[in-house]
Amino acid sequence: MTEYLVKLRYYPGDALEKIKERDLKGFARKYGVRISYEKIENRQMKERLLMEDTLNKKIEDISQEVITVSGDREKKFSGCIQALYKRYRCPRTVYSLLGSNEAGEKIAKGLMNIHGGW
Amino acid sequence: MKVLALNGSSRRNGNTEILLKQALMGSELEGAQVEILRLTDYRIGPCRGCGLCLFRENVCQVKDDDVSFIFSKVNECDGLILGSPCYFLELTAVIKQLIDRCWILGHQIGKIKKPATVIIPYATRGWIPYISVQSNILLNVMGLTKINEAAICTQGISEVVLDQEAMDLAYRMGKEIAVAIREKDLTYQGEDGVCPSCHDWLVRILKDRETVECPTCGVRGKLTMAGGKIRVKFEKKAWADNRFRPDVSYNHFNYHIAPSKDYFLRTKEERKNKTQKYQEYLPG
Repeated sequence: MTEYLVKLRYYPGDALEKIKERDLKGFARKYGVRISYEKIENRQMKERLLMEDTLNKKIEDISQEVITVSGDREKKFSGCIQALYKRYRCPRTVYSLLGSNEAGEKIAKGLMNIHGGW
Repeated sequence: MKVLALNGSSRRNGNTEILLKQALMGSELEGAQVEILRLTDYRIGPCRGCGLCLFRENVCQVKDDDVSFIFSKVNECDGLILGSPCYFLELTAVIKQLIDRCWILGHQIGKIKKPATVIIPYATRGWIPYISVQSNILLNVMGLTKINEAAICTQGISEVVLDQEAMDLAYRMGKEIAVAIREKDLTYQGEDGVCPSCHDWLVRILKDRETVECPTCGVRGKLTMAGGKIRVKFEKKAWADNRFRPDVSYNHFNYHIAPSKDYFLRTKEERKNKTQKYQEYLPG
């Protein structure tokens, strides 16, 4: 059985609406997948902007919200990823799936190409 | 008070140059010192995509051209008049070439409060759909605020002098810039388009086929019909996504571009192995 695992990394300003754990639980229930959520916040207010030095940091350490989705049924897993893209839009950088497994990344990336522009 | 005109036409005394000079005469009447640069007289090399301006604090690797001189002139001026002919649906190549070199100015987006106006002579009605895109991008990345824009239908070299209305308009626009500088008033005075931010008429249909966006600003909305007229409804909260807001452009540079250095370093070995055959194939 194939295990699909994807990490969707949303950086500040990427998600179209606020990511709420309650909503994520709803998606997990609806699609029969596991979803966890992690928020990393390292920004500080300077010059009237929330700022952070990201140039020499590891991708995993900079401010971001990470939605981790896993499951073993491809159709349900895809449906969930699609619903997340529809709600928040798809993550936007080439490294925004870092930490995903190959099977999960393939699906998430394919759906990005379909839903790109969000 | 300094007003600078940037000319995207290579033609001497062509319609663009005449209109820009006419505008500068208007600025001068309002007390401005004026200057005009014909961009094609300067060396504007293509961006090499090396990323040094992003990764090494505003260092541009292209040193053998005049772009830093042009940027210094833009920085010195208090207001700018941009002119370019439209030869093929959009502005001239030198404008795009300059836009690509503006990465180094990314930190200025939305922070500088200087007015700018745009004058675009063109020949055939209906052949100018993208003229505002490049001018909006260039002005925004240079940190300038567009207060007016005019597309002027004229064709043969210097024929625009026969169009008194166009000449009067250019003169007025030149005066407007000087007044805007003096009064520190950046209120938009041109014709409103669909997008309340860049005032363009373009919208892009997104792949969900439910949403549209201003392709330049990146602000999303919905198409509606009211009284037989197409409208675009932009939600108030959508304006937080305007890519030329200081916080949005900061996030773009800081979270979409800067961290790619880490990714680049992590993938070094894999890239090295996979690019070998391309270096050997059709070596240039």
